[in-house]
Parts: sequence; C-alpha cells; structure tokens
Amino acid sequence: MNTLTDRYVDATLRGVPQDKRVDIERELRASIADAIDARVEAGTSSAEAEVAVLTELGDPARLAAGYADRPLYLIGPALFLDYVRLLRVLLAVIVPIASVAVLIAQLVKDGPTFDHIGTVVGTAVTTALHVAFWTTLSFAVLERLPAGERPVTGAWTPDRLPEVRESHRTGIGELVGEVLWVAVVVTALLLAPRLSPKQDAAGEPINILHPWLWESGFVYLLIGLLVVGLVAPFASYAVGRWTAARAVGAAVFEVAGPIALIWLAATDRIINPAFAPAMAWPDMTKWINISVIVVGVVAIGGALVKAGRRAIQR
Amino acid sequence: MDEEDLVAGHLQELRRGTVVLACLLILRRPNVGYARLDLLERGGFAVDANTLYPLLRRLEKQGLLRSDWNTDESRPRKFYQTSPEGSKLADLLGRDWDDLTTAIHALRDNP
Repeated sequence: MNTLTDRYVDATLRGVPQDKRVDIERELRASIADAIDARVEAGTSSAEAEVAVLTELGDPARLAAGYADRPLYLIGPALFLDYVRLLRVLLAVIVPIASVAVLIAQLVKDGPTFDHIGTVVGTAVTTALHVAFWTTLSFAVLERLPAGERPVTGAWTPDRLPEVRESHRTGIGELVGEVLWVAVVVTALLLAPRLSPKQDAAGEPINILHPWLWESGFVYLLIGLLVVGLVAPFASYAVGRWTAARAVGAAVFEVAGPIALIWLAATDRIINPAFAPAMAWPDMTKWINISVIVVGVVAIGGALVKAGRRAIQR
Repeated sequence: MDEEDLVAGHLQELRRGTVVLACLLILRRPNVGYARLDLLERGGFAVDANTLYPLLRRLEKQGLLRSDWNTDESRPRKFYQTSPEGSKLADLLGRDWDDLTTAIHALRDNP
C-alpha cells in the first residue's frame, strides 16, 4: 500500500466513530484503489494517479464529517435566531445587574472611590464573556442532539410582532433630560475648584481636575462644546425630520464634546496631579483617563449610530 | 459571485435531488461494484467521490440499499444493491419526477 493512501485513510478514520471504522476503512481503501486503477489504465503513472484521486476526494476531515453525519457548523439555521435573541436578552439583563451589584458591594465595602470604575468595567466584561460563552456552548450542544430531542421556542405567530418603531423625534421628556444632564456636568465643572474631599497645606481645597483646564481656559471651551452638543436634541425635537446632511451636521456637534474629552484624557489633563497622591490608589489617574477614553469612544459610537439611523430614516 | 459561479450554483441545486434517485435506479442491476462514479457520470450525473461514498452509506442505513463484500478477487470490494424498499421508493420518486417534467413542459409551452 502506498504511504499517501495510508495517511489519507488514517486521517479520515480519525473523524469517524469507532464502531464504523473497520467497515469504512475497507470500503475507502477499495474505492481509492479502484479509482487509481482506472486512472492508471487511462495512462497516468500510479504515483500521479494516487495524488489525483486523493486530491479529488478532498479534505479527509470533510469526508469523515460526511460519513459521520456531523454538522460542519456551530449553530445551524434552525436554532440560530433563537440563539441570537436569547443572547441579546441575557446580555441586556445580566450584565447591568451584575455590574450594579458589584458597584454597590464595592461602595459598601470601600466607600466612594474612583477604583470602582475599573472594578465595574472588569466585572461587566467578564460577565458578558461568560454569558456569551455558556449560551453559545449550550446551543452548540443542542444543535448536536438528535432532532427529536431539541426543545424549541414554538412556531412563530403574528402575535410576536413588535410595534412599529416611532420616528426618532425627540420627545419633550428626552430633551429636558439632555438639558438637565449638561447642566449638571457644567455645574460640576465650574464648582470643581471649590469642592474637594482633600485639602492642601493652606487649607484650600485641592481641585480634583487639572489646573491647566482653568489656566488655559479650556474648561470654558469644554463647557461650550457640551452646550453645543445640545443642538442635535433641540433640532430633533423642533424639526423631527432628518435628511442625510442634517444628520451629519448633528453628528459633528455631538462628537465634538467626546473628542475633546478623549484628547484631554490622552494628554493626561483631566486629573490634577496634586490630587492623585492624596487618593488611596496610585494608578487612579491612569484608570480615570482610560475610563474617559472608553466612555468617549462609546459616546462617539453612539452618536455615529444615531446619525446613521437618522440618515436612512424615511 | 461571477456569472459562471452563479450558473454552476443553480445547476448544482437542480441536480442535487436527483442523485439519490439515480443511485437507486443504477444499483438495481446486480453486481454493480467498482467504478460507480464512472457509471453515474456516463449516465449523466456528475457526482463527487466525497459526496457519493457517504451518501451510499446513508442510503444503506435508511434501508434503501443492501451491501455485500465480494471476496472473489484479490481485492475485496463492497457491492451495493437496491433493496425492495429502495426499489419501491425509486418508483415513487420516478413518478414524481415524471409529474414534475410534465408540469415544467406545460409552463414552458404555455407562457
């Protein structure tokens, strides 16, 4: 027997259940030998014929999967939609609950500090990964159960249809929310030099935020950008109808603030260096910068998604 | 997907269902052993080896084919033959095939 055929048969048999191996091996060897004979009769050398026959048979793993009736995918079309829907629901429910629970536990244990941002983010990521992994694994197992034993969510009926999506016109409640939010942030920024848990030698409160922001007047620019970011919700409330051009314009206003924040974080101008050693955690500044960057990126992503939705809106 | 692939894909879909019927019909004859692929090809059905061998095993598992090992010659060969159930199914599929042909002809001739 030629070594190539031996290797091919061996590779195929690896993917075949034990009880079928002997029979498949005999059959496969016979078929390969016959096919080689046919080509040799037609004029090719036996070595070339062997290569050609095995090439035509293709990847032994694929052939084995055909023999064993194994699906060559993780989750098939029958279960896929249920899988995606369940995954979305689980992620949307479990990850926030876990994150809030951890945050509360940390607050109770250590009081309010900035360390918690890192802990909560870490928890959220780990939880999300676990939810995704175990859900996927369960569905992959279900896919491989004999068809009769699969639990199924039942046939789809029109009752399950969601309501038509309202146009993305901002309601008055949403608008007030956005304005209040910006007002709170602006007030916090302006009051930061006055309010501080720590005090320096002279008894003056140490500004949490970097003094450069006030020296260069950047803080006012930042406030301005945040206010300007309100243009989009106002426009959405007043006009309600979006064109692609208006959506792009609104997006520009909405990403200006996050971009400025990201730049501040990247150049380490958010936290006052004089404040950092006074806090418990030496790396706090770095983590705050990281969190600001992450939040800024998420905000930019959200603004882009919103712009995309508005632009294609009828 | 360029046009060749598109056409090839549709042709494959058209022929996919007929391979089983072709196998059941060809294997009615006794002692059709080796070069099954060749027979199928000459009969007008181009089938990959890696599709055919698992397919024959599957049909045997479903009781539509019977298999036998012929140890006469130096190399033992496996022979498949259509079982009575397989023959009945072949008739049924064949009749359905005729109905389809008639229906398609009717659609073509009466646009």
